[in-house]
Amino acid sequence: MIAPTTGNALLIGALIVVWAVGWGLFVRRAWQLYRWLRLGRDEDRTEHPARRLRDELVIYLGQRKLFKRPYLVRGIAHALIFWGFLIITVGTVDLFVSGVFGYRLPGTGTAPFVWTVDLFALAVVASIALAFVRRIFLPPPRMHVALDGYLILAGIAFLMITLLVFETAGLVAGVAAEGSADPPLGRAILGLWPSPFPGESAAAVYGAAWWAHLVGVAAFAAYLPQSKHLHIFTTLPNVFFRSQRPRGALDLIDGIEERETFGAGSVRDLSWKQLLDGYTCTECGRCSDQCPALATGKPLDPQKIVLDVRDQLLREGARLVRDGSDRGTPPARWKPTKTEELWACTTCAACVEACPVTIEHLDKIVDMRRWLAMNEGDVPPEAQRSLTNIERAGNPWGQPPDTRADWAKDPAVPTFAEQPGAEWLYFVGCAASFDRRNQKVARATVEVLRAAGVSFAILGVEETCNGDPARRIGNEYLWQTQARQNIETFGRYGIKKVIASCPHCFNTIANEYPQLGGSYEVVHATQLVQRLVQDGRLALRDGAARDAVAYHDPCYLGRHNRVYDEPRDVLDAIPGVERVEIEPYHRERGFCCGAGGGRMWMEEKVGQRVNHRRMDQILAVDAKTPVTKVASGCPFCLIMLDEAVGARDVQDRIKPIDVLELVATHIRPPGAQTEARSDEVEHLGRASG
Amino acid sequence: MKLLVCVKQTPDSTVRVKVAGDGRSIDASQITWAISPYDEYAVELALERKDADPSTTVAVVTVGPTRSRDALRQALAMGCDEAILVTGAAAESLDGLAVARALAKVVEEAKPALVLCGRQASDDDQGLVGQALAETLGWPHVSTITKFRPADAGPAGSVDGIDVWREVEGGHEVWRTSGPVVLTVQKSEKEPRYPSLPGIMKAKKKEIPEKDASSLGVDAGGAKLEIVKMEPPPARGGGKIVKDGDMKQTAAELVRLLREEAKIL
Repeated sequence: MIAPTTGNALLIGALIVVWAVGWGLFVRRAWQLYRWLRLGRDEDRTEHPARRLRDELVIYLGQRKLFKRPYLVRGIAHALIFWGFLIITVGTVDLFVSGVFGYRLPGTGTAPFVWTVDLFALAVVASIALAFVRRIFLPPPRMHVALDGYLILAGIAFLMITLLVFETAGLVAGVAAEGSADPPLGRAILGLWPSPFPGESAAAVYGAAWWAHLVGVAAFAAYLPQSKHLHIFTTLPNVFFRSQRPRGALDLIDGIEERETFGAGSVRDLSWKQLLDGYTCTECGRCSDQCPALATGKPLDPQKIVLDVRDQLLREGARLVRDGSDRGTPPARWKPTKTEELWACTTCAACVEACPVTIEHLDKIVDMRRWLAMNEGDVPPEAQRSLTNIERAGNPWGQPPDTRADWAKDPAVPTFAEQPGAEWLYFVGCAASFDRRNQKVARATVEVLRAAGVSFAILGVEETCNGDPARRIGNEYLWQTQARQNIETFGRYGIKKVIASCPHCFNTIANEYPQLGGSYEVVHATQLVQRLVQDGRLALRDGAARDAVAYHDPCYLGRHNRVYDEPRDVLDAIPGVERVEIEPYHRERGFCCGAGGGRMWMEEKVGQRVNHRRMDQILAVDAKTPVTKVASGCPFCLIMLDEAVGARDVQDRIKPIDVLELVATHIRPPGAQTEARSDEVEHLGRASG
Repeated sequence: MKLLVCVKQTPDSTVRVKVAGDGRSIDASQITWAISPYDEYAVELALERKDADPSTTVAVVTVGPTRSRDALRQALAMGCDEAILVTGAAAESLDGLAVARALAKVVEEAKPALVLCGRQASDDDQGLVGQALAETLGWPHVSTITKFRPADAGPAGSVDGIDVWREVEGGHEVWRTSGPVVLTVQKSEKEPRYPSLPGIMKAKKKEIPEKDASSLGVDAGGAKLEIVKMEPPPARGGGKIVKDGDMKQTAAELVRLLREEAKIL
């Protein structure tokens, strides 16, 4: 269409001024935000460029993370608005260029382009309507519904409506440019309603709507960086620079002995990417929806963790840029209750999994915990006890270290000292070494490995805590001490391959020990068993009982390491076992047992216990498909589930068990059942010692 | 105000102690050492005073073998300002009274406003040193305290004395004491603090002056007590679970066992 500014220098000037002001304000604010972002510490996020480009295509352009099951409809609506925005932006630039220079961008007059613009404009209007209805009538519980969101939706709606109006009015007024396709929507409207503009008004309406549209774009540009809508720009770099570390690996503090501060004592100590996360958060609340702590009434809200960092940066940014020595408030002390929020986290990564724009909540929480634990020594007393126990006894329960291998005396399990040539190290872990219930899992693991003829040995009393609880509580120094000690021991015996029956041992040895130079082939016991079954090295017999086994995904096996299928394959391979899925809280949405992130050793006094909520989810499944066992692959999950079946008084009919124990009962000759009776089970307490 | 805390290094509570071959001492080869728990409470109480009034200085002293230096480092890492190690051949085999005498010399030199000790050490459980120290110094002492603070300042702003809380059945006693005093500590309100990493690093670099025990007028021959024999507690027999039959039957069986086998009814 012919722009209303054509041939009028005054109007062209006005258009340039309006856009210059709007985009000038945008650039000014963007520059300010960029300078504040640069307050963050340096972090190299450029490795694996190819993967980053692929993420950009899949997550940013493809909107993949928006289509998760519970959010499918709104995910589609969002994608339509987003793709519409990309297409229509080309049209908008074309409008401006033709308004100033009278020149059309190539291709913008063609029928395919005009059709695409119109169809997306229609889709955007429909999606915006859906968003309005949802916010007003069905507000999602965790979403932060505020004026900002309405203004943004109204702004987009305004732009789409003005677009449709000037297109339609332009058709009537006959301002179509030569060789340009007619906008189909305008045609359709005129088909239904032949003369919407009385008299000679079509040209005036065309001009007014055209101007409203272009002034609207400039106003929107000025508003955008003041609002959460900035995410349409920040998501682009935020996805590109997302962490390419394995999800289960926390960041290493290098040269820890030479440092004076540790973790986030200031927004300056958070990396620029962590600050960019704050600019990118759209307050959709999906992270909060999935958080087991929030769901059970704890003070933690992962969305708030991100927004607090953003708000602190917005409030302190100008001051910190002016004064290089000013460190501002420690993020962990941003609000008086902030520390309680931080200690409530189980590091289950449900928030990270849920975030459509790849925000990394966990790293922030751990960086703040690091500051509390290492700089201030301010750790909840029970967690402090577990740290002291790791320091002094090499296990968080404070059990005598020389009893670590007592479980392996009868039947005797060889140590590397006794059998230095073994192919695999079975890294038993503290829980299976000291907790009586979990010792049965260790014995079952040994039985299975023996039945398959795997060459393995343990470290015995030379094994020490892998350090995972310390690292997640925030004591990086203790983690490094523990890890170095184990790496040294592994090295002494030339160990190359490691089996872990605990996902926490598995995760930290596989994903974090390489940070300190310890690289091994590490498998979780269920992964190895799956391979052994597949290769025909392990024959599973039919047991006497028929079991309906619900599989509970441990966070450090599932979400952190994406080991979802192997334990399921193992269960499916056991004759007489029917696997039940704890839908919808399984696989990527698996609900934490409550013990991760050092929570195993902390009191849980606020709200409902996380493991009880988990049990309720299992019982909801059980009501439809009766369940006889709930299997997991993690000692802490087992402890938590054992407590929960007792609390819900179902211990007589639903038995928590480790996948390896199930396997072990099916390699024995029928009749030789040596499973534990739940009333004989004795767990270590949360914070003994 | 200057505070002096006396600590002892004992086997950590996570250690399973074994009797050594000589039958009179413990096998020290596999032991992780730590500050005795009541002494750790004493350190915490002193540091809480320092938190409340930053002009307070806290010194910590121990009498023992050279490995006791680690206990002092731990106290420094928690936030104590200085540490004194009394060691040497003579310090290896002292009894409580001799330790108290050595400590008395340190107190006379350091001139603290008050001295804190744990109420007893977790290894020998004698509970002797605090009181013996007070007697040797001729100072008053209050035992098994849980809290202390300077009494309300007098008109000139001077401190009148020290208020001391003792836990008793169902409540607290509050004592007021003037002048220098020895307090033995039952517990602190808060758990002993977790040393910060900068605290640990600073403590690693700090100079710890060493005094030879014999230079303080005590010698190895000074011990009045001698351990003749040590033996581990008898091994525990396995428990018995009564589980056959219904509740009435199990109760009857339990009573029968308590009466006939355990002979306690």
